[in-house]
Amino acid sequence: MPIPDLRKKIDEIDRKLVTLLNERARAAHAIGVLKRNTQMPIYEPDRERVIHDNVAQNNSGPLQNHELRQIFERIVDVMREIQKKEIAPVEHPGGPTELEEND
Amino acid sequence: MIVAMLESATDDQIQNVTDHLVNLGFAVHRTTGERQSILAAVGAIAGFDIREVELLPGVQQVHRISSPYKLAGRSFRPDGTVVKLPKGVEVGSNAVVVMAGPCSVESREQIMLSAEQVSKAGAKVLRGGAFKPRSSPYSFQGMGLDGLKLLRDAGEKYNLLIISEVMEMSQIELMEPYVDILQVGARNMQNFNLLRELGRVRKPILLKRGIAATIEELLLSAEYIMAGGNYDVIVCERGIRTFETYTRNTMDISAIPIVHKLSHLPIAGDPSHGTGRRDKVPPMARASVAAGADALLIEVHPTPEKALSDGAQSLFPEQFERLMEEIRMIAPAVGRSIA
Repeated sequence: MPIPDLRKKIDEIDRKLVTLLNERARAAHAIGVLKRNTQMPIYEPDRERVIHDNVAQNNSGPLQNHELRQIFERIVDVMREIQKKEIAPVEHPGGPTELEEND
Repeated sequence: MIVAMLESATDDQIQNVTDHLVNLGFAVHRTTGERQSILAAVGAIAGFDIREVELLPGVQQVHRISSPYKLAGRSFRPDGTVVKLPKGVEVGSNAVVVMAGPCSVESREQIMLSAEQVSKAGAKVLRGGAFKPRSSPYSFQGMGLDGLKLLRDAGEKYNLLIISEVMEMSQIELMEPYVDILQVGARNMQNFNLLRELGRVRKPILLKRGIAATIEELLLSAEYIMAGGNYDVIVCERGIRTFETYTRNTMDISAIPIVHKLSHLPIAGDPSHGTGRRDKVPPMARASVAAGADALLIEVHPTPEKALSDGAQSLFPEQFERLMEEIRMIAPAVGRSIA
């Protein structure tokens, strides 16, 4: 397939990814709302391990497990933030965050 | 903060470090590499010691990214600080302020003559020590309160502001009526009790870098003063101890642009203590202006060969005049002027 066609294919897949990610975010947000009312912790390492295991199990390539894992770690980070904002909408106290480089 | 795990770290160890950081209040972003995993911990935690994390099993290295000082850091005041002094003199604006005078006040004649000479050459602030921190207890210790009064008289007569060194907390109240800038000597840069007291004063402070202090330590000392509410701090590079012993100290010119990047505080250059020898003072003074110094602190004496302290690094009045002419030519090359 020539490059322009491949790029069109990628753009179409990206559109689908965005739709799916937003659906995922809505589900995560709903969980955040429910967690708020029951005082469940936001950070659940066991659940995160299950998520990554599922991804690996469903992976038939060509991506490697560790490559998928890196992508899902970023997705899970964002979803965790969504839940955090739902439970504690007040901004974190303190000055610049650790990742704001001073140099 | 970035936590790099050992390649041999187990998943349990990585999880353990993550849990530890989460419990401390950090938001942790994990990147599981093919061989090595990295944890990015976000969130400023007061009083946190990274060595705690370095010691956890499986950790290879920890890098702190944010700076330990907040008030003194550039992001606190991105446009820079301008310290306003009486008589319309400002340190930190475009015009470079020259502060000059003898190492110590020795007599009325000496300080009056000195004031006349430096004022004529264009200095805006008269320096002179009334309380001297001498390395030897047998050296001249200063004129004390009389010295302060003479400084004020000389300043009034020749339209100069006054800067003088405060050595201990008890002197602050005594000195306030007589000086416009309180100077903290290099050996007092980490005298935290003194810094804390000066934080309560509402007069500008000139803070000299310690003889073996890092720039981070210098800015943390400035932070002490600012934390007390006094934001009018001018830091000063005056040479640091290095392995080179030809000069008593090595003038660290690079401190000037470095401080300008890391902090919003103005920085002065003291080429007199920075070199310890009269013939090295003009080149380092010129270099300081070219490097962007906001002020210069220069020792000038009417008769250096007869000075009671630091004569070898004090300029003759003619040398000072010539130096002033030279820096008036250099300043515009870097977009500045001499006040």
